[in-house]
Amino acid sequence: MHVVMTLVLALILVPIAAGLVLGVIRLDALRKVVVGVVTLAVFCGTLALAAWPAPVDSGVVPFNHYWLNLGMLLVEIGMGLYVIVVGVRSRRPLIVALMLAQGGLMLWFELTQGPRLEAAHDLFVDNFSLIMALINGVVGGGICLYALGYMREYHEVAHRDVPDRRPFFFALLFVFMGAMFGLVFANNLMWLFLFWEITTLCSFLLIGYTQTPEARRNALRALVMNLAGGLAFALAIVWFHEKADSIELQTLIASKQSLALVPAALLCFAGITKSAQLPFSSWLLGAMVAPTPVSALLHSSTMVKAGVYLVLRMAPAVTGTTVGLMVALVGGVTFVIGSMAAITTSEAKRVLAWSTVANLGLIVLCGGIGTGEAVWAGMLLIVFHAVAKCLLFLCVGVVEHKLHSRDIEAMSGLVVNLPRVAVMMLVGMAGMFLAPFGMLISKWAVLKAVVDASPLLSVFIVFGSSATLFFWVKWMGKLLEVVEPQRRVKGDLALGESIALYGLSAATFLACLFFPLISSRFIEPYVLSVYGQTASLGQGNLLIMTIMMIFVLLFPLSFVWYGRGVKVVDAYLGGANVRSGVGFTGSASQVQEVNLHNYYFRGLLDEAGLSRCGIIGCSIVLAVMAAAAFV
Amino acid sequence: MAGIKQSPWILHYDASSCNGCDIETLACLTPVFDVERLGVINTGNPKHADIFLVTGAVNEQSRDVIRNLYRQMPEPKVVIAIGACAATGGVFRECYNISGGVDSVIPVDVFVPGCAARPEAIIDGVVQALAVLEQRQLDTATAGGSVDQVLYLRAQKSNAPQILALQKAAYQSEAGIYGDEGFPALQQTLEELEDEFDRRPNREASCLGTQETRKDPEKTPNHVVFIKAVVNGRIIGAVRGYAVDDTAYLSRVIVHPYFQGMGIGRRLTEEIETAFPGVKRFEIFTGHRNERNLRQFRKLGYQEFKTEPFTPAIRWIYLQKERK
Amino acid sequence: MISLPFRLLIYLIAGPVVGGLLAGWDRRISARMQSRRGPPIFQPFYDVRKLWQKQSIVVRRSQNFYILFFLLLVIFTGALFFAGSDLLLVIFALTLAAIFFVLGAYKASSPYSFIGAERELIQMMAYEPMILLTAIGMYMVTKSFYVHDIASHATLLVLALPGVFLGFLYTLEIKFRKSPFDLSSSHHAHQELVRGITTEFSGRALALVEIAHWYENVFLLGWVYLFFASSPLLGVAVSLLVFVLVILTDNVFARLKWQTALRSAWVVAAVLGFGNILVLSLLR
Repeated sequence: MHVVMTLVLALILVPIAAGLVLGVIRLDALRKVVVGVVTLAVFCGTLALAAWPAPVDSGVVPFNHYWLNLGMLLVEIGMGLYVIVVGVRSRRPLIVALMLAQGGLMLWFELTQGPRLEAAHDLFVDNFSLIMALINGVVGGGICLYALGYMREYHEVAHRDVPDRRPFFFALLFVFMGAMFGLVFANNLMWLFLFWEITTLCSFLLIGYTQTPEARRNALRALVMNLAGGLAFALAIVWFHEKADSIELQTLIASKQSLALVPAALLCFAGITKSAQLPFSSWLLGAMVAPTPVSALLHSSTMVKAGVYLVLRMAPAVTGTTVGLMVALVGGVTFVIGSMAAITTSEAKRVLAWSTVANLGLIVLCGGIGTGEAVWAGMLLIVFHAVAKCLLFLCVGVVEHKLHSRDIEAMSGLVVNLPRVAVMMLVGMAGMFLAPFGMLISKWAVLKAVVDASPLLSVFIVFGSSATLFFWVKWMGKLLEVVEPQRRVKGDLALGESIALYGLSAATFLACLFFPLISSRFIEPYVLSVYGQTASLGQGNLLIMTIMMIFVLLFPLSFVWYGRGVKVVDAYLGGANVRSGVGFTGSASQVQEVNLHNYYFRGLLDEAGLSRCGIIGCSIVLAVMAAAAFV
Repeated sequence: MAGIKQSPWILHYDASSCNGCDIETLACLTPVFDVERLGVINTGNPKHADIFLVTGAVNEQSRDVIRNLYRQMPEPKVVIAIGACAATGGVFRECYNISGGVDSVIPVDVFVPGCAARPEAIIDGVVQALAVLEQRQLDTATAGGSVDQVLYLRAQKSNAPQILALQKAAYQSEAGIYGDEGFPALQQTLEELEDEFDRRPNREASCLGTQETRKDPEKTPNHVVFIKAVVNGRIIGAVRGYAVDDTAYLSRVIVHPYFQGMGIGRRLTEEIETAFPGVKRFEIFTGHRNERNLRQFRKLGYQEFKTEPFTPAIRWIYLQKERK
Repeated sequence: MISLPFRLLIYLIAGPVVGGLLAGWDRRISARMQSRRGPPIFQPFYDVRKLWQKQSIVVRRSQNFYILFFLLLVIFTGALFFAGSDLLLVIFALTLAAIFFVLGAYKASSPYSFIGAERELIQMMAYEPMILLTAIGMYMVTKSFYVHDIASHATLLVLALPGVFLGFLYTLEIKFRKSPFDLSSSHHAHQELVRGITTEFSGRALALVEIAHWYENVFLLGWVYLFFASSPLLGVAVSLLVFVLVILTDNVFARLKWQTALRSAWVVAAVLGFGNILVLSLLR
């Protein structure tokens, strides 16, 4: 349908155009207007697209293909040259080598194959891409609004030393958003690849935004790893075209397994690098040096979701094979190790990063298993994780600015210092692991899918989820504990920040309350279309989840009876209390302060050691996957 | 209150004991005596405890700890002082670092004597404390659920033992000011105190030859009036007074050390003044070095008018006030 | 078969009674093992009655609300279980309940309740793999996660799930909060942590915690029964025997360090639990 395709094109092109425009706007007020308008437009566009009856469609882009292809080729060449220059200037031969290999391959491919590289449908819309588009538009849009207020405070207050390159920043954010839309709507693998590489480049530029040596180093690491994925992507395209004479995604997915296995394996590899699975997790952890909107948008909600999106797309092609099992193993191991590593650190963004890596691992696990039930669970995970994790990142960003610290230990008593932000953080954290919120539903679905398909993989979920319990609850406890009566910190939120935070909190609740609707409207039709059968949660279970949600919602209401008829005394400090709960008389009559410091398992777990185990283990697994695919 | 007698949970604290009494207390938990039969659990946590068992005399460090622990215990609660040191300071009473028994810090309900107190005696003390606990809960319940509120009521002769114990506890600090324990308040016996309840001062005055000018029997009670301050069923303050002709003679405004500084003494004085509506003048006296009392009385409108020596160390200062 | 509402009613009313009696027997048997006589069997009820009438003392005004929800959700968990619903959902509901308990202790903001809270979390982390593996094991044998399907399975589950059963017993020790795993608080005289997680709760809140533990114990013994559900008498007998075994272990062992507890629980889950599942999936 014409309208649908127009919307799709608009969603891809408008943000990119807006990005280019924002690249030259220096005036903050004008920037706010442009960002606000474009975000609103994107938001409405995505909702319209999702609400459109029967949007599932495939379309041909109504431009002249020759000029379009030439334009894309030039963009690719330009990006490639830029990356090579970067590699040379930073003396990273690996970057140069990877880019040359990748670029050379694609160039050779395009020049030799030329006119035969036609796709019947360049773009398409199905329920899965709609979900991804919704996430990109709604969550991504919220982040762009948030970034307005956040970046102003970033440059004017918190980080005066960082050169103010906000036009560049916002340009990249919107170009990225457009590229993401292109990624999820692309059926032509070449186009997918282009958008994929654009996101890689945006990520590189945004991580290095502050231009400190540490930022540059981490940006380059991200670039290397994503380029490796890109190379695999390019190989996949070439291989598939050689064997099946097609560059269409749908064709790939629908092909016989014997045909599709190798490109699917290569694409899974690309997805694994993009979504920072072990052994490629270090780039995501390093990317946390970037400002918070970058972490939220690229490195938790959207870009890394592109990686798992690709893996889930490949699910029908790898299900039941050794390749699929290996992919699932990578996901499972990453889930366990990521969850355990998150326990050991007290830096808020690092915890969130590890948690992101772990949850993406869970989705990759679903993709590797590849049954209908698993894909259904994986898609649920994508939806809920995007919303909750984004909320958490944005809250941590605000807290970082108000408290001037990223340390979780500094957030003690936040529920009194910054009550609204603290409550939203609690909602976000609950949304990440607690019944009856979304992630729990998804994890439940994963468990069921795994047990049906290959029960042995359940060991990863079982150990990983107990580890996630620990670090979330101790963080929640840290927010709730009030050791010393605190003064309220000046917690004014900028308008954009408020909209984003309140909106995402509402979204966490709504996504959970309406998840049956989301499931039946988007996820189940997709799974049905691919697998011919679908999965869902039983009716009785829905009732029970609703009851639990009511419990959770009733909890704040109980504060109406706030402290009636109770007597407040000090905490028990062996009777040596000096002032209210804060100090006690220690030895030699010295007054000691009460200091509550969470457990980080320092003697038991070691982040570097865990990482190393994971890297070695998953490298072996990936080697086995390669062997299984090519042999 | 149903049930508290069957589930007494204990907080055991060693103020500065030589551990003799502590060993005997813990022996109660052993198979030979097994107080868990009675439902006793030795919790280490004031918030879970009903009975506060204290051994040892009170020194500088344990004074604050005892107050903190006592404050953190929920009502209804009782305090048992175990051993001679906890009762009065024992052999360490005169030491420079000992301020006395436990009742110099918190109100004590049961004293278990001995050095060291035997387990049988300790268990007996616990049983008696349970009776006190039960009675206290009943009193609080009948007073209309007034937890932690100070109630000012007429005292009866049956309250004499508690008032005497309170008197001794309250006057410890006063005696400390003078370095002399010859205070009549500290020397008074139970019989003497009970006699006070029965005294008829007006008749005595008339027997002494003063003209009986009682105009209004209700307005001028002819016996000693005792007023007690009660918190959660325990008496923590008292005052007494009697009237002869147009003057009311008030004495022994006592408040337990733990509850001092909360305006209870002042309220007691005001309450007893209202007990004598017919008199025109109030008279009260205190030791000459007791600055706090003097200040209090002056704030209430009293003025000094007479000084009388009592012992070489103590002089009584008399204050009076006209009714407005 | 007893109808659902009636079953729930029985659970709601008889649950704490049975749980309290079990607690009373626990103290009495422990006392006898220590050559003492021990309190009356109804002592836990006397305790709760006394606690109910004590003054309400808090450190932070909102701390007791968490306990109320802890109790409500534990009751909800048991109700779900005895109503026969999805076992995984039951586990998640129990986790939610336990988290309210832990958050309440965090809210109390005192060192001892804080340590108790962290250790309670470690306990949860220790037993969760095994109970999830138990549910998975039961699914693999009965092809259903629903308790009423598992309960009406024709054969004795423990025959197919011996490893899972043993692992479950190991973690049951943790869930009953008994030595060697009474990491977060203890009913006995262990006072190194003072009262651990329940340090700052008194009066009615503490009574609610007690009652919640009773409901939880009844639910756990019900889960033991599930392993023997096809012969009810044997099931009840084994449940009670398990309870006595738990008491015996409690009196014999000292508390483990939490690192040891966590490691051993995970090793047991991996070896016994996962091993059993591995064997089952190979035999399929």
